[in-house]
Amino acid sequence: MTRETAYCFAADLGGTKLAAAIADARGGIVAELTEPTDPRGAAHVAEQIVACADKLAKTVGIEITRAHHVMVGIPGAIDPRTGRVSLIPNIAGLEDFDVLGFLRGRFGPDVAIENDVNLAMLGEHALGCASHCRNAAFLSLGTGAGLGLLIDDKLFRGARGSAGEIADLPIGRDPTSHPSASGTFELEVGSLAIVERYRRQGGAAAATVRDIFRLLEQGDEVAASVLDTTARWVAIAVVTLQSLLDLDLIVFGGSIGVRPELYERVRRALPALFSRPITIAPSQLGDRAGLIGAAWAAGQALRQNPEPALSPLTSRSG
Amino acid sequence: MPTPPIASVTRQLSRRSVFEALLHRSPISRADLAKVTSLSKQTMSEVIDAFEQQGLVRSVGRTSGNVGRTAVLYELSPDGGHVLGIDLGARRLTVALADIAGRVLAEADEPTDSRGGAWALDQIARLSDRLARDNHTHPSRIRSIVMATPGVVNPKSGAIEMAPNITGLDHLNVVGLLGEKLGSPVVLENDINLALLGEIWHGCAQNVDNVAFLALGSGVGLGLYVNGRLVRGENGAAGEIGYLPIGGDPLQAESRLQGCLEYQIGATGVVRRYREAGGSDVDSERQVFERAQSGDAIAACVVDETARLTALAAAAVIATVDPQLLVLGGSVGVRVDFADKVARALLQLSARPVEIRTSTLGRRAGVVGALSVALRRLHDEFFGVAELAARPLPPPTQRSARQ
Repeated sequence: MTRETAYCFAADLGGTKLAAAIADARGGIVAELTEPTDPRGAAHVAEQIVACADKLAKTVGIEITRAHHVMVGIPGAIDPRTGRVSLIPNIAGLEDFDVLGFLRGRFGPDVAIENDVNLAMLGEHALGCASHCRNAAFLSLGTGAGLGLLIDDKLFRGARGSAGEIADLPIGRDPTSHPSASGTFELEVGSLAIVERYRRQGGAAAATVRDIFRLLEQGDEVAASVLDTTARWVAIAVVTLQSLLDLDLIVFGGSIGVRPELYERVRRALPALFSRPITIAPSQLGDRAGLIGAAWAAGQALRQNPEPALSPLTSRSG
Repeated sequence: MPTPPIASVTRQLSRRSVFEALLHRSPISRADLAKVTSLSKQTMSEVIDAFEQQGLVRSVGRTSGNVGRTAVLYELSPDGGHVLGIDLGARRLTVALADIAGRVLAEADEPTDSRGGAWALDQIARLSDRLARDNHTHPSRIRSIVMATPGVVNPKSGAIEMAPNITGLDHLNVVGLLGEKLGSPVVLENDINLALLGEIWHGCAQNVDNVAFLALGSGVGLGLYVNGRLVRGENGAAGEIGYLPIGGDPLQAESRLQGCLEYQIGATGVVRRYREAGGSDVDSERQVFERAQSGDAIAACVVDETARLTALAAAAVIATVDPQLLVLGGSVGVRVDFADKVARALLQLSARPVEIRTSTLGRRAGVVGALSVALRRLHDEFFGVAELAARPLPPPTQRSARQ
C-alpha cells in the first residue's frame, strides 16, 4: 500500500455564511467553498458542515475519511471545562446543540471547535500581519464585536473560555441602563448601533452599514459624523486593551473593522487618548482569516498526531 | 576519566528532587527521602553527604517511638543561603530576609524617603544592611535579591518608568546603583505582579490558575496570572490600568499624564474629589474612608463612586481576560467594607461576575512575592539543570578528600 497524503478539514461558521476548506498537513488550503448559513438553525447547520466536507472531498478527489483532523470555528465562547458553547446570538439553537458531539459522531474523535475570532487571530499569527508578534489581538467588528487574544505566542481563552468577549466592555452607555449589563460596548459599535445612530442624527434612509459607507463616499456629512462617533468608542476600547495587556499589534477585522474609513479614524483618535504608541493594522487575510486559522490549527494537530484515531466514518466505509 | 555530561545532569536532577523533598517535607529521614524521591539508598547517601558539606542541610534529632533502630532526621539548614525581598512603595519601604527554605527570619519597614530618587536607594541599602546585621547575617550570605517597585522597569536603562508616585527614579539606573549598594545583583519586578505572586504562594490565591489582582492604594494597578505565568505584555506594561479610559475624560491633560482612571481613584484623586465635593481638609484618602464610616455624607459619596469606578475597571478586566478569581489588594482594596461595595457594584456592571477575595497578606503581599521570586531564583541557581555546565555549585565549605 502506498503512503497516502494526509489532509485535514476546516470550517468557519458565521451567522450569515459558512466557509469550509480541505487543507494539507502544513495547514495550506487545497480547496475551499463558501455558502450561506442554513437559516433553519443548529441541527441543519451541523449537517451543512458535513455536507461541505463531502463536496470538498469530491473536488479534491479523496475520501473524506482521509481528512484526519477537523477544526470548526464557532461564533461563541467555548467553556474549556465543559465544552459548552455560549453567547451565540446569530444561529438559532446552537447554544443547546452539542455541536462537538455531533461532529465527532460524523468525523471521528479528532475534531475540535474553537471561537471563530480566536481562529482569525491564529490565522493572522501564522500567515498574516501578526506573524512577528508574541502579544497581539484580533478585533472583529461587524454585526457584533469580538476579540481573539494572543499572549506569549499562545491563544488566550480565559478561565471560562470567554476572554475577549469585549461586546460586554463597560464602554459607552451606563452598563446598568440595560438588562444584565451584557453587550454594552456592542450597543455602541455593532452594526445595528451604527444604523440606529445614523437615523437618530437625521440621516437619509440607510438600511445597512454598507449603505452608510456608500453615502460617506458621496460626501454625506451625517455618515462622516456617525463614523467619527463610532471610531471614538472603538478607540476607547483599543486604549482599554492596550492598558490591560500591552499588545504589540491590534489587528482590525470583521466586515466593519477592515474598512479603512473606520480604522483610519480610530488610528487618528488614538494619540490624544494614550501617551504611548499603539499599533493597529487591518487584517491581511480579510474575511478568510478565520478559515485560514482553522486550517492552520487543524494542520498543526495533524502534524502532532498523524495517525488517525479509529472513527465511526472509517469503520463505516471500511 | 572525565565524567560524561549525562551523569552530571542525572546527579543534578537527583539533587533537585532531594532538595525539593526537604523543602516540602522536613524534618525527614534518609529512608523516607529515598522513598519520596525514588532514589537508591546509595545515591541518597551521596546527596545528603554533599548537602551536609555544603551547609545546605542539618540533622535535627532522630525518629522515636518505635522499637528498634532510630533514624536521623534532616531539614534544610538556615545557613544554606539567604534571600532578601524588598518592597519599595510610594509611602512604605519594606524589607524581609528569609532562609533557603523560605522561613522569614526578619522583616522591617519604614516610611519611604519622600525625596525619592537616590535618597530612596540609600534608604533601601541602609534598611537592608540593618536587617542583615541585626540577624547576624553577613551580606555575602545573601544570595538572591528581588525588589518590588511601582511602574515599569526599562530593561535598557535600568530606570523605573511610569511610577508617578515616587519621584526621581525615571532617570536613575536603579538596577545598577542598587546592585552596587547591596553588593549583589538585584532583580526588579513590578509591585503588583509580586503582590499577586505573594497571594499565590502564601495568600488567598493558592492553587488558582487564572487570577487577576487589582490593587488600589496610592495608585491603581493590575496583575494577571494565567496558566502558571505572569502576563507582562510586549514592553512589561501589561496591567497599567491607571490609564484605562474610565471615570473621566481621557482627553484631559491629567488623564494623559497620570492616567484617566488613576486620576480619579488613586489616593490623590480620592482626596481631590472629596475637596471638590465640598469636604473639609484631609491629609490622605484613608481619612476620607474613615469619615465615610463615621457618617460624613460627602465622604460616603466619594467612597461609593470610587467603588463604582473600581467595579467598572473590574468589568473591563472580566470582559477581556475572563479570570477565575479577582483579588482586591492595596491599602484601599483590602478594606472589607470597600470590597463589599465593589462586589455589589460589579453584579450590576458585569454580565459575568467572578468570585472576589480581598488580599490576605495585605501590605506584606509585595514583599512576600519578592521573597518567593528570590527563592525560586536561588533554587534555580543551586539546582537548575540548564545552568549546570556554566555554573557549578559554589561550595560554601571545603571539599573533603574523599571527593
